Amino acid sequence: MGWRKKRAPRKFYGRQNAQAGQKTPAAAGKKGIKRYCGLLWVMPSFLGVLLFYLLPYGDVVRRSFLGAVDNRFVGLENYRTVFGNTAFWLAVKNTLCFTAVCIPVLILLALGCAAILFRSRYGGLIKSAFLMPMALPAVSVALMWRLLFHSQGLLNQWLTHLGIVGSDWMNTGQAFWVLVFSYIWKNLGYDIVLWMAGLAGISEHIYEAARVDGAGEWQCFVKITLPNLKPSLYTITVLSFLNSFKVFRESYLVAGDYPHESIYMMQHLFNNWFRGYSFDKMAAAAVLESIVLLLLILMLQKAWDKKGDGIRYAP
Amino acid sequence: MKNWKWKRMIGIWMVLAVLCGSLGCSGKGAGIGNLADSAAESSGANGGDSGSPGDADNGGSGEKAMGRFLEEEVGGSTLFCNIFDMKKMEDGTVRLLGEDADKNCMGVWDSKDAGKDWELAFEIPRELEGKEGYVDYAALSAGGQAVMAYNQAAEGKGVVSVLYLLDKEGNASRIPFEMPAAKDMPVNGAFDSSVYSSTSVDVYMDGEPEGGGSGGTDGEGQEEGKEPEESAAGEEPSGNQESRNGAEEDPSGDQESGNGEEEGNGLQKLSGASNLILGLSCLGENQVLVKGIGGQVYQVDVSDGSIKQTYEFGEESGLRESFLAGDKLVCQTDTEVLVYDTATGEQQPKEDVLQKSIAESGYFRAVDSLDSGKEMYWLTNKGLYHYTFGGSVMEQVMDGSLNSLANPSFYVMKLLMLDEKNLLVAANDSNSLTGVTLAKFSYSADTPARPEKELKVYSLNDSREMRQAISRYQKEHTDVYVNYEVALSDGNGMTVSDALKTLTTEVMAGKGPDVLLLDGMPVETYAEKGILRDLSAVAAKAGGNYFENILNAYKDGQGVMCAIPARFLMPLVHAGSAYYTPGEGFDSFMERKDALVNMDPDNVVEKFWYTCGAAWKKEDGTLDKEKVTDFLTKLKNAYGEYEASQEEGMEVSMTIEGQELNELKRVSLDYGELDLAAQKINTNIGLYGGGDYGMMRAVSEKLEEGDFGSMPGQAEGIFVPSLVLGISSKSTQPEVAEAFVGYLLSQDAQKLAMSGGFPVERDAFRGTIDGHEYEPKEGQENLSMTMVGVGGNSEDVSEAISYEMVPATEEEIKKLTDLAESLENPALMDDVIKEAVVEQGEKVLKGELEPQAAVDAIMQKVNIYLAE
Repeated sequence: MGWRKKRAPRKFYGRQNAQAGQKTPAAAGKKGIKRYCGLLWVMPSFLGVLLFYLLPYGDVVRRSFLGAVDNRFVGLENYRTVFGNTAFWLAVKNTLCFTAVCIPVLILLALGCAAILFRSRYGGLIKSAFLMPMALPAVSVALMWRLLFHSQGLLNQWLTHLGIVGSDWMNTGQAFWVLVFSYIWKNLGYDIVLWMAGLAGISEHIYEAARVDGAGEWQCFVKITLPNLKPSLYTITVLSFLNSFKVFRESYLVAGDYPHESIYMMQHLFNNWFRGYSFDKMAAAAVLESIVLLLLILMLQKAWDKKGDGIRYAP
Repeated sequence: MKNWKWKRMIGIWMVLAVLCGSLGCSGKGAGIGNLADSAAESSGANGGDSGSPGDADNGGSGEKAMGRFLEEEVGGSTLFCNIFDMKKMEDGTVRLLGEDADKNCMGVWDSKDAGKDWELAFEIPRELEGKEGYVDYAALSAGGQAVMAYNQAAEGKGVVSVLYLLDKEGNASRIPFEMPAAKDMPVNGAFDSSVYSSTSVDVYMDGEPEGGGSGGTDGEGQEEGKEPEESAAGEEPSGNQESRNGAEEDPSGDQESGNGEEEGNGLQKLSGASNLILGLSCLGENQVLVKGIGGQVYQVDVSDGSIKQTYEFGEESGLRESFLAGDKLVCQTDTEVLVYDTATGEQQPKEDVLQKSIAESGYFRAVDSLDSGKEMYWLTNKGLYHYTFGGSVMEQVMDGSLNSLANPSFYVMKLLMLDEKNLLVAANDSNSLTGVTLAKFSYSADTPARPEKELKVYSLNDSREMRQAISRYQKEHTDVYVNYEVALSDGNGMTVSDALKTLTTEVMAGKGPDVLLLDGMPVETYAEKGILRDLSAVAAKAGGNYFENILNAYKDGQGVMCAIPARFLMPLVHAGSAYYTPGEGFDSFMERKDALVNMDPDNVVEKFWYTCGAAWKKEDGTLDKEKVTDFLTKLKNAYGEYEASQEEGMEVSMTIEGQELNELKRVSLDYGELDLAAQKINTNIGLYGGGDYGMMRAVSEKLEEGDFGSMPGQAEGIFVPSLVLGISSKSTQPEVAEAFVGYLLSQDAQKLAMSGGFPVERDAFRGTIDGHEYEPKEGQENLSMTMVGVGGNSEDVSEAISYEMVPATEEEIKKLTDLAESLENPALMDDVIKEAVVEQGEKVLKGELEPQAAVDAIMQKVNIYLAE
């Protein structure tokens, strides 16, 4: 699962070594080399991160203070432009709305399904079925979307048969809910798998002890299952959050660069800015977005550390 | 234990060393500095055979590969308007059978200096140029005699082909050969007139067929059915010579020529055919290969007319063309090349190299051999290729992209290999004065295999106009290789947005194009971001007599010109007085109910977008909602009720033989002229960028007080810039790029036969509308043309328009020139807004949406775009 107790003993061991080092320099040198050996193991990964993430990010920060093509220093002008850009605020609003709606719904729905499937005899089989949408290529999904949600598509035809008036799903506010549905449909299976793994990690003895003490199913769920799934929640939340960015592919393939305003996301904005050489605005917006994301994750982690009661996420 | 640790450390460092090493080796520049390498690779690949001119040894690393074929036009003082065949005779003299445009005679010419100057050997006997028929095909033998296929009317048989033999001195005798009856009529582009244009075209010729002009197609016909790529897909012109091609005709030269049907009006209709001759080749001195209309090739003895061999190719074989290489008959089908030994009549075993040749080199246009049939050379639009029968490799001896071969208007008819390093090529060329070009390609060992400079030109869509100009430019500038990149080609599945993003990446990485053809690109955004260089110096240096109002379309307040349109189109309306009065405004035009009835809804919106869209942008950059609402409301009023039944007919008319019309054709004025004449529509609106003025005149005459003028719109004086040129500010060789753009604005380039719009240079503009090519020569009569709409029955004369092809009058020229001068504002060329408007506007005209709701949808989408 990737969750374990704090490695306090190791920290203690380190301090012990340091104290010991003052006493015996030879032993301290050996241990010091051993400690730096660990750094060597981290180096390839760190170099990768440095080369592919940190340095480009540094360049993005630099570009956020420069002109788009001529690289002229413009100070905070790009940030001012971005803050005054209505398309930016629309994209921010939509992205936040989408995240705020999708992630709680997905997490709760997946938890409910996982809890039911975990007790079911056919849970494994059904779990695999839930994973099917993830195996579908984005292009196929987009094609299916078009067939379904076009103003003269299959969904409207079915609705007409039922005597219900259809809608132009992708060109009205309903496009947002279509996107939410699509995201949940695609990611539900993945989250179920994660929840089920979390459920499998809870010892059956705790339930047995609780039942002996007279606890019912609901009490077991609330008092045992949920607290023990807290470590899983962080992983699932972060992964769901990251997956929410991938919904752009389907949206872009179906509705293009300029979809209905309710599904105009940050990625649409960046995509269009890139096409129009607006690197200045892109860089400033990217820096702003990264700061917000970093703050969100740090807040989440801090909140979790407080509630985690000595349990923390080990990557 | 200690050793184990050291081993681990060494292992780690080795892995790191390998990683760093691989990263270091992967960088390989692709800039101009590598041209020599690529040229060397190219020539190395080309020169697989020893002694081949293309086998330029690059002498190891660092040395420039040398040797390239250079092109020059030859012919001396003789202006050929048709070339049937060329042969190198046994004494080294080059003999040519063709027609002289000046003397208006058909004859045989000899050249002692490899084609530079020609001397008339003898004229074709007058009886073969009489009113009763005409020479359709002819071939020469190495001994100097000629065989001619003479099509003449025969009582009860329509037109029959008769073979004549001309000896070295020009004495004619009839070969007693009669074409066997055709088994299958071909399904061949050469006989399918509908591929030439949106309307099927039948050619009627007044009286004798020997007029100097041409029937056939309108000015745009050649683009629609005869693009080289399209040809490769199944519409390959056969390359047959047609003796009556004018300068603006189809470069392939294929025109209908066949059985004459006498009609009541005394016109001879050249359509329909029994078994006619479609090609001739002399096989030695005693035999001739005759290709029939049904796909058979007959090997005929010229002495008695007997058929020695018949090579049968059913319709399913897809025989496209047959050629003679020495004593080998080379037949090209849709997918493969079959070789026959003419001595035995047997098919040679199939050779892998030849089977792959069509895929690699494209369809053959002309074939020749330097020996009796052990090898062959062939020309395609990609270049000159060589193959030795039984060999394992075909070699590209000459790269077509460096000369006229890649020019879409240059269609090769005949190839004559003088030796390994010299060849003559006869081609139909719509940019030539006579419609025919005779070019000599000579190998120059001192010229670099690839030009030293490489200029990258980029466009979203393939531009035939640009290809023509590049070909001409390269011919004149042998030190520059113009690398033309087209982003959206058939089958690559790329969208405009994807293409622009890729372009952005390349430009910012410093590997982008030097010259941009900005059609379909956001010019204003690019200019604002500093992607485009100022071209005002180029425009000032160009020195032509330009329509300044058009040329300065993208000039800003500071005098900076980030883009220059090399062509332009005029939005026009053509209608009777009941529906249009020249000069009237948008409101009064739209008040007439049903003025736009029966037209394709999205097409109507798109056409009016050009004259209205420019008025919608407010100073703050947003769209004026009221004007958009007004636009859709009035458009709906003029359009009337939409009938779903008309949809099917429109779908058919918007395609030609299954091929989608390109954007320009869809909105062109020419496209609706026949429908207007047949009164299927009340007004014809569209963009006019040159075309058949005579047809507009004829349509006007059919209408009640018919006339044309500027298309009314919410904005006035609108023109549509076309072939918009820009130079990337990141270009590493701006001087070369500026020279190229300067060339595109020069008279030479402006006068090229293009369908992409009127030239911005005044003299060239006049040349496209004055109909100078219809000036009758001495002793000739005017030709006339009859056009029949696709939807109509060709037998129904009421749906046809006949008109004489005559030069435009001064008054007509002045009218169009004044119109061009009055245009001051470029149309809003923003595809994002246009798509949103067309999408919603179509729904309004179809009655699916109220104008107000459509405007809301447009504003919602467009405001996001504008806010970005």
